[in-house]
Amino acid sequence: MMKVFLLGLALLRVDSLMYPAVISPQDPTLLIGSSLTASCSVGADSSLRAEDLYWTLNGRRLPAEAYEVLSATALSVTIPNLNGSQQQSGDNLVCHSKDGGILAGSCLYVGLPPEKPTNISCWSKNLKDLTCKWAPGTEGETYLHTNYTLKYKLRWYGRDNTCQQYHTAGQYSCHIPKDLALFTPYEIWVEASNRLGVAVSEVVMLDIVDVVTTDPHSNVHVSRVGDLEDQLSVRWSAPPALKDFLFQAKYQIQYRVEDSSEWKQVVDNVGNQTSCRLAGLRPGTVYFVQVRCNPFGIYGSKKAGIWSDWSNPTAASTPRNGRAAGVCEPKNGEHNNTLRRELKQFFGWMRKHGSSYGCANLSIKMYDQWRVSLQKSHKTRNQVLSGDKS
Amino acid sequence: MGGSIPGTSCTLSQVEKQGLDKNFNLDSMDGVPTASTEQWSEASDAERLRDNLKAYWAFQILLNEILEEQRSSLTPNDLDFHESIQSVLLQVSALAYQLEELMVMLEHNVPARELEGARDAHGRGLFEKKLRGMKVLQELAQWSVRSVRDLHQLSRPVQTGDIPHASCCLALKK
Repeated sequence: MMKVFLLGLALLRVDSLMYPAVISPQDPTLLIGSSLTASCSVGADSSLRAEDLYWTLNGRRLPAEAYEVLSATALSVTIPNLNGSQQQSGDNLVCHSKDGGILAGSCLYVGLPPEKPTNISCWSKNLKDLTCKWAPGTEGETYLHTNYTLKYKLRWYGRDNTCQQYHTAGQYSCHIPKDLALFTPYEIWVEASNRLGVAVSEVVMLDIVDVVTTDPHSNVHVSRVGDLEDQLSVRWSAPPALKDFLFQAKYQIQYRVEDSSEWKQVVDNVGNQTSCRLAGLRPGTVYFVQVRCNPFGIYGSKKAGIWSDWSNPTAASTPRNGRAAGVCEPKNGEHNNTLRRELKQFFGWMRKHGSSYGCANLSIKMYDQWRVSLQKSHKTRNQVLSGDKS
Repeated sequence: MGGSIPGTSCTLSQVEKQGLDKNFNLDSMDGVPTASTEQWSEASDAERLRDNLKAYWAFQILLNEILEEQRSSLTPNDLDFHESIQSVLLQVSALAYQLEELMVMLEHNVPARELEGARDAHGRGLFEKKLRGMKVLQELAQWSVRSVRDLHQLSRPVQTGDIPHASCCLALKK
């Protein structure tokens, strides 16, 4: 018992050594632009005198004009028009003895109250969970640490719930993993709070079935189409996690050549189909292909749905030798496209040569004649090219 | 020790992130094991190991306190900084474990472990918490230098009658 008492005495002694002075106020929170008067008091039995003390703020000595000697043992300083804290851990206001020793310190938290969080958006992966993200108010966390709390409740009869898993999809996000109801709208809002106050966002209302997305495809297959040197076939399957739900699906495909970082999105909104041919590719070239899905119309929802992330790139190469320009078509569609291109060329040729035949003579014969002239010009060009080589 | 001195880069981060001055004189701060000793060359192997072990046990407690203070009040958003403190803490725990094993192997008495922090952290002002964090990391860096010297000393070539067992072949030589 005596030992404990002695230890207590020793600690008190150490404390008095460690805190030769006291700053008041300790660790205050203040508004930007306000002013602060702080005092540093040394013990009455200390050899230190108020006139010998000085102040620093973040290591910079404050001018003596800002000081006031309150008594033989207390010196105050007034700092007008405070700027926002330089560091998240607070500005260091320190009282020093003449020789530079630290007598006491206080951390100043200078900032603004939080602003309303905005732009709340949420998505549900396969109707199983809900993740929301939001944007902080403009001043955000510039000066003071701000806590964000996402709250949600069923619209008509629920009680407030608080989301627990933060930062799952970026700094301003929260994930609700389970216990979510379908077909009843949720009210969702975010509360921002810091040392200077609280701000609450607008309430967002949504039904889970309206904000469904799915996992990126894990089974995208890309293969050659026989010997066609400008084509690749892409196959994928509908999202398995949604197989028990009534829904429609849109898919997008994008591809790039191996040595480029630029993706070419060649198909928009391919409806419900699970395969596609990429045509007009470079022969003998490695391509990377990605697919993503937008499951919409879940249980008759009228909302647009949310695109999944892109699948991991799947690689395949085209056979050697080929044509030009890339398009993606439904199966067998490449013939239509070739035909369209040839017809365009044909009409160009018609404008040039058609008048000599007269309108009455427009017939399939003319088309045949154009084909013959086309073949002749190809033959001539190939001869020129092979002549060049030799 | 992974080739680096635990605490050194962390100290720099601590100084920079909290607006401190690395020239602050922190001698008056107590409760942190100090590496400097006047009787270094006279210490026995057992004393050396015991001092090291007790120091790193204390650093485990202190680093945990610092981490908690940084998370809860000083730098709640600075996850990278917390992670680097955590990483130092992990190295310190590993080192303490190795030292304990070594003492057992050399048949030295392992000292009793104090599981409580030396002082109550709750009453401290935030500025003092910052200074304390800096002091802990500075001393940890000093200790890591001392430990290298201590362990070199322990693994020195055995003189006749110095260590009685075959246990002189310290794993430290690896």
